[in-house]
Amino acid sequence: MYRFVEHTAELEVELEAESAEGVLEEALRAFGELAGPARGEPVEQRVELEATDLPALLAAWLDELVFLAETEGLVPESADISVSGTRATGVVHGRRGRPRPLVKAVTLHRLRFGRRDGAWRGRVVLDV
Amino acid sequence: MSERSALVRIDDTTWEIPMSARADMRVPARIFADDEILDEIADDLSLEQLRNVATLPGVVGAVIAMPDIHQGYGFPVGGVAATELPDGVVSPGGVGYDINCGVRLLALPLLESELGDRREALVHEISRSVPAGAGKRGALHLRGTSLDDVLRDGPRALPNVRAEDIERTESEGRLEGADPSAVSERAHVRGRDQLGTMGSGNHFVEVQAVEEVLDASAADAYGLREGQVTMLIHSGSRGLGHQVCTDYVRLMDGRLASYRIHLPDRQLACAPASSPEGREYLGAMAAAANFAWANRQAIADSVRRAIAAVLGQGVAERTHQVYDVAHNVAKVEEHGGKRVCVHRKGATRAFPAGSEEIPVVYRDVGQPVFIPGSMGTASFVLAGEPGSMERSFGTTCHGAGRRLSRTAARKRIHGNELRRELEARGIVVRCPSPKGLAEEAPFAYKDVDRVVRVVERAGLARRVARLVPLGVVKG
Repeated sequence: MYRFVEHTAELEVELEAESAEGVLEEALRAFGELAGPARGEPVEQRVELEATDLPALLAAWLDELVFLAETEGLVPESADISVSGTRATGVVHGRRGRPRPLVKAVTLHRLRFGRRDGAWRGRVVLDV
Repeated sequence: MSERSALVRIDDTTWEIPMSARADMRVPARIFADDEILDEIADDLSLEQLRNVATLPGVVGAVIAMPDIHQGYGFPVGGVAATELPDGVVSPGGVGYDINCGVRLLALPLLESELGDRREALVHEISRSVPAGAGKRGALHLRGTSLDDVLRDGPRALPNVRAEDIERTESEGRLEGADPSAVSERAHVRGRDQLGTMGSGNHFVEVQAVEEVLDASAADAYGLREGQVTMLIHSGSRGLGHQVCTDYVRLMDGRLASYRIHLPDRQLACAPASSPEGREYLGAMAAAANFAWANRQAIADSVRRAIAAVLGQGVAERTHQVYDVAHNVAKVEEHGGKRVCVHRKGATRAFPAGSEEIPVVYRDVGQPVFIPGSMGTASFVLAGEPGSMERSFGTTCHGAGRRLSRTAARKRIHGNELRRELEARGIVVRCPSPKGLAEEAPFAYKDVDRVVRVVERAGLARRVARLVPLGVVKG
């Protein structure tokens, strides 16, 4: 699940899932809600990411979605993604459209991603 | 109240968090405010973020909070930090993602009374001429000019730019040391189709009237008089700047250990300004800043075309640029005999009369500064004062400052209701999304009149004119 948290100027997102991949998929759905909806043709985009640690991988994943939305008009809907260590590879599925350009960037402020209290959890603050 | 009780009052408008407040602070933090504004500041994480900034290696003097400060990520918005060169750090987050977000003011040779019933047509034409985002419609296609020319030279690289516009732009629209090769391929791709576009969020073009002149001689020098129609343009470096900041926050975050830098917040990622990473960032940031000035130039050109279409070519030709200021940027300057890198994040340079950095025509009155209020309220033209050099590294505030989250604003009003309220007050509104309109509701911001009175009492800048909106085109 994902949840938006009140923040004076920016947007904080809390994420929870049963797996690391699940957290990334929840992050994608949160981003899709901010950027969407889109009714254009279905599109797929392959992604390969590597980061210095797990939290940075969550930021890199959302960086990728911001970039694809802005340059390809891709509004993401789902992903087949696999995480190994601090690498993520897979495919983003979505639709072509005119994504709302709300999210400018992904910050490292209060960034978290890891397993805690029996679940995978993430937290990220977006610059909007 | 615990945040407030930790503050030491210095004078009428200044409070201090002493260095002793936290073991890792290298300098104190100073806050320009009044009692009411201070309560709002103490309500969010602004002061904690200010203390975090005070830990940056090489930071000198004090870190400064302007009265429009609010919680951001890493640096607060409305903050100033100077680091001593060559080895003090530069922090991309201290500039922010929207590198050289800023404002440009145009003055029309026309009074509000002369504009009459052409107001709506003018706002409508601007909304047609200035696109919010990239796409087929509107964005300036770089004919005969490469994106790298724009990154290197700013507005000078664009065709048919008036020399007077360049002269009346901070740093004449070109930061030294801009290095297009330090701007990633991704940033190039994001910026390619975005020149001349406004962006979303709080970016806008506003048609205004000068409601009141508060300093006649400065207003005269700036070419402003009561009743005159003006245009305020608020935009930045778009996706190109966002990507430059992202790239260098990520790069420096990965190199902190090699420079033995320990930070209380990962978003403060930084590197010595003299290091390869620091030099590259400064080159890329300067390039993005130049892109932003070119972007506001292209928007101003579109606005002049809209003026020509509705009010006639003669009016467009006699529409002059008052000035253009950056409010998200890092600049190398000299303060107190030291060469420093001044990070201004949501803060505006405000050099006083006599400074060689400001256009000759304004040198007797001080640098113009523009403070956009929230949508539907007033904006201010200020002039830099000597106190800014003594107290805030030549800096003043940048806006009203947010006080409510976007969600909280949306809960209180629907965009369509706000549009009706603004239109009932005679303000013409064009906005692609009711949601986006509600998020920028006036009550989501602090009272801009209070904010500018604080910086005036503190001697950072003085009020020259108060502008009120006639129409707004939102991104």
